[in-house]
Amino acid sequence: MSVADLTNSIIAGINDGLEQFLEGTLVAILPVVWVAILGLHIGRPYILEMIDRFTLRLGADLLWIIYIVLRDLLVVGGVVMSFMFVFPDVVTGSQLPITGGLASVMLFGVLLVKLMGDPDHNLRDYRLVMYLLGLGATFYFVPYILGVQFNGEATGSLKSISDFLVTSSNPGWGVGIAYLSIALLAIMGAVAVVYALRTGGRPEAEEPTVAE
Amino acid sequence: MTPDEISNAITGALRQGGSQWLVATIVAFLPALWTTALILHLGRPYVVRTLRRMGLRLGADAWWMTYVLLRDAVLLITLGLSLIFFQPNLVANLDLPITGPLSALLLLLALAVKLWRRVDDDVTAYRLSTAFLVSGATLYYVALVFAVEGADMSYLAKFAEWFTSGSNPTVALGIMWVSLVGVVLVAAWLFVRALNSAARTMGRRLSRDQPQQPES
Repeated sequence: MSVADLTNSIIAGINDGLEQFLEGTLVAILPVVWVAILGLHIGRPYILEMIDRFTLRLGADLLWIIYIVLRDLLVVGGVVMSFMFVFPDVVTGSQLPITGGLASVMLFGVLLVKLMGDPDHNLRDYRLVMYLLGLGATFYFVPYILGVQFNGEATGSLKSISDFLVTSSNPGWGVGIAYLSIALLAIMGAVAVVYALRTGGRPEAEEPTVAE
Repeated sequence: MTPDEISNAITGALRQGGSQWLVATIVAFLPALWTTALILHLGRPYVVRTLRRMGLRLGADAWWMTYVLLRDAVLLITLGLSLIFFQPNLVANLDLPITGPLSALLLLLALAVKLWRRVDDDVTAYRLSTAFLVSGATLYYVALVFAVEGADMSYLAKFAEWFTSGSNPTVALGIMWVSLVGVVLVAAWLFVRALNSAARTMGRRLSRDQPQQPES
């Protein structure tokens, strides 16, 4: 082996290893992000109850701001981190939950409902957000636990099911679902762009302005 | 191989591998930044709707400040990291989206609109900056997802070959130089505009501060 061969081997090792480490870390963090998103959305009544107990309006406003900033930024973070589910090469090469792309579509749907509707004040929109989150969590956690995490332990027919739920061992379905997710994300993105262009960045319904 | 040769090989590999990994990480991180920038920009109606519900001016200001800082900082960071698309050696040798420089130019144009007009008050300016942002993001996403990250798919091979800078360096460098000219022109215009604006406002202030000459 020459010095150049050794150098190239180490470069390839560094690049592949760090890339896999980065993707692996994202895959490991995403379930935590999903749990936090679910927890903050489900915990809304608790926050509202606490806000009612504040004697100062300032404290109540600050708690509400911190709550919605955390809640909504986590949803944005979840969508951004799910980007690897729409990369065909990553989907075929890594062990990802097979419906992870659809889970990111549901998260993007939540953002779209928040943009076009008013889930904090409209019951129908709130329910829609919760249904989308529930469906998204199912799409993420079922193949993640039964597929990605159970893969090494499963045997027999359970092993077949587990293999089916992981993208690298079922690349045909994995890439198909990735393309479906891309199409759905593109359609929803186009709807958001048309809405933003139509409204000029303003909420459609005029409401009372901030109290001085 | 001698111990010195092995040591040199490891040093060289760490240096080259580290730099390649850094560029690859920036390329991998850019879609995340583009998505965040788009979501924050398009999410303005939601932010304004929430803002109007704030009972106190302090809360509303804190909410708006957080939003504006995040939105504009993400746009600036995305533009800063897009600088890799204007480095000929990287463009010709690495697998980058061929339309990356054009997306960076469109991002700069969106920022220029923000400096030129009051995007938060002017509906037409908001629409213009949205159009630039969405066009830039689309150019970036399509080449990244279906070319750079889809190169292993046999049916995407032709598309990947065409839209990846490393496998189509002539066109990639052409797009890069054209975009670079655009970036320089926009940046020069912004620079001259900032100078003129500063000269105007400072001149006004100076003339206001000067003591009035007593009339003889």
